[in-house]
Amino acid sequence: MTTTEQASGFKQIQVEDFRITQEPYYLPIHDEVALFEAAYDQKVPVLLKGPTGSGKTRFVEYMSWKLHRHIGNVDEEGVPLITVACHEDLTASDLVGRYLLEGDDTRWIDGPITRAVKVGAICYLDEIVEARKDTTVLIHPLTDYRRLLPVEKRGELLEAAPGFLLVMSYNPGYQSALKDLKHSTRQRFVAIEFNYPPRDMEAEIIHMESGVDRAIAQDLAKLAEKVRNLKEHGLAEGVSTRLLVYAGKLMAKGISPRRACQTGVVWALTDDIEVQRSIEEVVTSIFDE
Amino acid sequence: MTIAEDLTARYAQELRGFGASLPDDFARGAEGVAGVLHEAQLEQWARAGIDLANHSLRSWEAAAEYFRASPGIARALEFDGLMHWVGLATALSARSSLIAAAFLKATPEALATLSPEQFEAWSQQGDRLCRGNWKSIALAALYFQASPGLFASLSLDSVGRLVDIVDQLTERSYELATTCLESAGPIFARLSPEDREPFLRFARAVTRASWADTRLYFERGPKLLEAIAPAQRPAFLDLAARVTLAVGRQGFPLFADAAAALASVEPADHVDLLAFAARLAPGSPQAAMEYLKSAPFVRTRLTPEQMRRWADAGVEILTTERNAEGAEAFFRLESTRAEEMMRALSARVELTSVNTMLRMYAKALSGEQVSVQSTEMLVDKNIGWMSEASATTEGTAIYLPPFVNTFEEQAANFQVYKVFTTHQAGRLEFGSFRYQWLQPGTQTPGSLLERETKRRAETATVEADGAKKRAEATTSMQRFFNLFADRTLIHGIFTVVEDTRVDAYVAREYGGIRRWLRRLQAYEAEHRPEVRTMGLREGLLENLLRISLGRPDTVRWPHALQAHLGRAIGALRVIEQDGATVQDSAEVSAAIYDIAVSIPNILADVPEGDWVMADEEMLSIAPSMPGGGGEGEPQMMPNGEEVAFENPPQPEFRGDFKPELVQLLMKLKLQQQGAQQDGVTAPLTKEQLMELLENSAEITINEWAEGDLASSLGMFLSNLEKEAGTPAGDPKQKGQQPQQDQPGGGGADEGELPMRIDYFFYDEWDFRAADYRPRWARVGERLSDEGDDDFYEETLRKYHGLVLETRRQFELMRPESFRKIKKLEDGHDIDLDDAIEFHVDKKAGVGPIARIYSRRNKVERDVAVAFLLDMSASTDEEIEKQRQKYDKDDNDDFDGDPRKYFQWLAQRRARQAIEPPKRIIDLEKESTVLVVEALEAIGDAYGIYGFSGYGRENVEYHVIKDLGEPFDDRVQRRIAKIEPIRSTRMGPAIRHTIHKLNEYDAKVKILILVSDGRPQDHGYGRDRTEKEYAVHDTKQALVEAKRDGITPFLITVDKEGHDYLKQMCDDIGYEVVDNIESLPRRLPTLYRHLAAE
Ligand SMILES: Nc1ncnc2c1ncn2[C@@H]1O[C@H](COP(=O)(O)OP(=O)(O)O)[C@@H](O)[C@H]1O
Ligand SMILES: [Mg+2]
Repeated sequence: MTTTEQASGFKQIQVEDFRITQEPYYLPIHDEVALFEAAYDQKVPVLLKGPTGSGKTRFVEYMSWKLHRHIGNVDEEGVPLITVACHEDLTASDLVGRYLLEGDDTRWIDGPITRAVKVGAICYLDEIVEARKDTTVLIHPLTDYRRLLPVEKRGELLEAAPGFLLVMSYNPGYQSALKDLKHSTRQRFVAIEFNYPPRDMEAEIIHMESGVDRAIAQDLAKLAEKVRNLKEHGLAEGVSTRLLVYAGKLMAKGISPRRACQTGVVWALTDDIEVQRSIEEVVTSIFDE
Repeated sequence: MTIAEDLTARYAQELRGFGASLPDDFARGAEGVAGVLHEAQLEQWARAGIDLANHSLRSWEAAAEYFRASPGIARALEFDGLMHWVGLATALSARSSLIAAAFLKATPEALATLSPEQFEAWSQQGDRLCRGNWKSIALAALYFQASPGLFASLSLDSVGRLVDIVDQLTERSYELATTCLESAGPIFARLSPEDREPFLRFARAVTRASWADTRLYFERGPKLLEAIAPAQRPAFLDLAARVTLAVGRQGFPLFADAAAALASVEPADHVDLLAFAARLAPGSPQAAMEYLKSAPFVRTRLTPEQMRRWADAGVEILTTERNAEGAEAFFRLESTRAEEMMRALSARVELTSVNTMLRMYAKALSGEQVSVQSTEMLVDKNIGWMSEASATTEGTAIYLPPFVNTFEEQAANFQVYKVFTTHQAGRLEFGSFRYQWLQPGTQTPGSLLERETKRRAETATVEADGAKKRAEATTSMQRFFNLFADRTLIHGIFTVVEDTRVDAYVAREYGGIRRWLRRLQAYEAEHRPEVRTMGLREGLLENLLRISLGRPDTVRWPHALQAHLGRAIGALRVIEQDGATVQDSAEVSAAIYDIAVSIPNILADVPEGDWVMADEEMLSIAPSMPGGGGEGEPQMMPNGEEVAFENPPQPEFRGDFKPELVQLLMKLKLQQQGAQQDGVTAPLTKEQLMELLENSAEITINEWAEGDLASSLGMFLSNLEKEAGTPAGDPKQKGQQPQQDQPGGGGADEGELPMRIDYFFYDEWDFRAADYRPRWARVGERLSDEGDDDFYEETLRKYHGLVLETRRQFELMRPESFRKIKKLEDGHDIDLDDAIEFHVDKKAGVGPIARIYSRRNKVERDVAVAFLLDMSASTDEEIEKQRQKYDKDDNDDFDGDPRKYFQWLAQRRARQAIEPPKRIIDLEKESTVLVVEALEAIGDAYGIYGFSGYGRENVEYHVIKDLGEPFDDRVQRRIAKIEPIRSTRMGPAIRHTIHKLNEYDAKVKILILVSDGRPQDHGYGRDRTEKEYAVHDTKQALVEAKRDGITPFLITVDKEGHDYLKQMCDDIGYEVVDNIESLPRRLPTLYRHLAAE
């Protein structure tokens, strides 16, 4: 791995060199691991569908670590993972690359997708619906069997290196006419569905991730189940595993459960006072003072 | 001959010619006075009488009274006094002999309380009442006649004041004056001495303020006073007098209301209440009375100490804020501040204030779409639930008592609500209603099939004897209950067992609520009925209940039967195990049933010492299902009288448990949803249903007329079916929970759907009190009726050009929604300015990134607009006619040429023949069509609503097109149906529209009120003519809209309204339209303005 040790002491890594070297903790919920491995082997792009904080990112990290043995031309540390968080102003140049002025000359800089294509990395486009629709079209040629990336400004076509895989995540929760995934895009991916894990598994995750004991983790998972019952009745989204882990982490540091849930769950979830109070009552029913 | 006889003889001649009895009266009088007066005096005495008799035509009658009264008077007074007396009488007879006679006649009795020196003043009081006419003469005479009685309880001065009152009344009504004077004596006699003067003072005030109320006061006052603590009556009367001086006509009604209110407060509390009222009186007499009027209600919520603190807040308004109207509203409880303060102080928690929250809480816990409602509503449905005091559920809703006041702190009472809700939600969450026949439990072996076979064999022999055949069980629960001969008993046992299971789950799953569950359990355990007064079988259940409440220490049981109880407890413990299901509850109940039936329900004749409490052994009983029937037990039943079995009462938080009815309801629901059409489930037959209801222990038969059981059951059944047909009452809205009502739907048969009205309550702004009146107006939302098909199309045709113009204008607006974004690194265009600047910077060595591009970004329109149309009767006015009013000058412009005028008139008529005069409402309707066309072109979300109504209880809100509802021909027909109805209560209608916009998701929200600019309604102001209240409330509602991020805009279709509306819209968009032609020109500009982001 090429790292530059800076004088100030932080580590600077080239994106394409980013690899997951330690096994990330991931608790398989269903057959998603096997599905992903199969898709990777067959070079089939993957769409991870599910609410925020349900483990999509963690799953990709885990898979990138786990998949290292599938690949011959890169070292043993796993498949590089290049993540792009999508947003409204993300342009094609942002993904593919652009010319920069340097003195009186110009210099070409590869965008993340180009880098991923070149090194054969997993390219993870997080929250793809946030990106502008013309941007998403750009990736279409990458998803068919030729796996090509057109770099218009340079008049090139790049063929993806063997380890390359396009993965996107998509949260159907805030579906609206504006932010829906185009069918032409959607039809190019196999979709792995993510949902919040069942109570016991979620408790296990909370326990492992936050360090709180199993009983408290169980209560947090129970809370999650109850709060998720309120979805669409005052709550746009159920509480995510991520928030539960946060609450657990606060508790592990000695914050009282009720307080930790208030800051980590209730207030994070909604600004509606009435809904907040209702959830707080659920919290106080589950956790004693 | 005696002196008297001599005197009589001498005057005989002069006494002739008057009434026949006069000589006799003289003779008797002479005899009476002869012993007291000497000769010369006697002459004078006689002369005075004769003179009196001769005074006028009928004055001999007075003389007769003189002679009759004289003996007594002569004995009591000096001779001078006697003469003075007759002198007064003679003077009175100048007015009327009738008055003089009454005076003379009343004197002997009056002497008991009056001194001779007071005679003159007395006679003057009577004299004062006489005004010469016969009515006044009769009144004055009545006065003297009544005087002795009055003097018995009032001083001369006081009577003088009474005369003042009577005198004043005569100016209005002699009849009333007479009645009051007549009744005064007995009234004052009955009043205690200290109250008399104050009573009189208040009477005076009432008479001055509102003479007619004097009668009411004299009639009802004494009775009203009786309810006041005796020592406080003078203070109360004085307060009332003071108030009346200030408020006038309202004085007596306030007094009457306050007295009635005090009557329902403990007399011991009157001192404090009146003392506080007296404190308020100087600042606002009205507030003082309102305070008293509200006292009983406030007392139900607050302790005396809390009430003091509450009232102090009202005083603050009066003294610090110097807002008397505010204080009055506060004490009248028509103030949000007053309510909130009370809520904050009171320990009592109202369901209405926690309802929404508990609903969400219950949903979270149970994962079901439950609603939370008041038990009152369930009882009203008459589907088997009777108790309003305890919580319950029928499967789709959780019913809670309207308030909780169990503990002394508010927080604790809230926790009570939470425990209620948790337990009821627990019944849903942990499956109390999901019992399924023969489904295995996790803790118990299955025995029920065996039982059923046995039971069938038993009953078969009975049925063979001609008893009616049982229909198949309708539900699993029914099939289970069918296993037992005593359904009441098994229902009671199953209830205790299942509630025990649910409580055990709640305690395990919800560590946080456990403490409060225990506290409430303990509270309930301490309020149980005495076991020893029950039959033994009932006592067994009672003891199990106490065990299940976690209080084995409260168990009382005969020593001899300890083994029975022990086995029952063992079984109950089984159900407390983690994982136990409702199937286990059924098994455990069956086992306990066997134990219970082995114990007779007798009032056990057990000596004091043989009643045991739960001992160590009992406390440590392990969970275990009892073996087959407990044979080998020594049957040492105590003796005693057998009593009828009744299940022990349910603890409040557990409440009624009716699994059989709930399962039936669920089944009926499925059936109504058409689930039986799949052919798998056979539809329920009437017989099956009747059988279930007849046998169910969950319905109390004696609630119905006994002879008519079948028809009662039929009615009950139809209620149940109706209930099953209505979806779980769970409105999607949050915050405002509508109450549904089906007016006139009582006898509605299927086919015609009764109009559905959802009710919402809104505060109104009382500008005088500077406070909201809580839940003041009730807005009934309904779907508007549909009119004819043609109107919409016709209007389009009529305004063809306009419509096109408007559409075009609106379509022009669309490109504006593309926004240019500059300073981008990449984009469609290069921005020249930026590019030059960049190059300059670059040469200078700064600005490393070329942010020189620009791009047009499409900004999605995200606008929701609600049109609120005034449908009040005043919109029926013709616009032409009004214009005519303004155009009066033009009309004069015919230069006296009649031909011109007739020409003009003919033209006008012709115009009107083709086109009837346009009313405000027509303009509203036509504008609506234009607006719809325009908005459909641009694609913004819009709603159209109309409002009218009468009074604060009946604000009608008509939905013509809801936000988000697609536009179709039904909407067209509803527009056609817009018509003037009744009054204009704008504030609540605006508030409801705000509510609708708040529910709708859009970035830009607009409320456009189209009206004639005259908010007016019954009670929307102090009286019919007052507009200020209405204007202020409307203004406030518009301010609320702004506060919620909504842009309000007013369009007034009336020139007259201009100034009037303007005053309340200084900072709110406002436009007067008197001509539809101007609308399309105005609308786009206007709308563009409003919808700008
Ligand atoms: N199956 C899982 N195994 C381990 N951790 C998980 C799992 N699911 C969720 N998490 C936890 O939840 C957090 C949020 O997950 P993340 O992958 O960031 O969600 P997403 O990408 O779906 O928004 C993770 O950091 C991790 O702590
Ligand atoms: Mg993520």
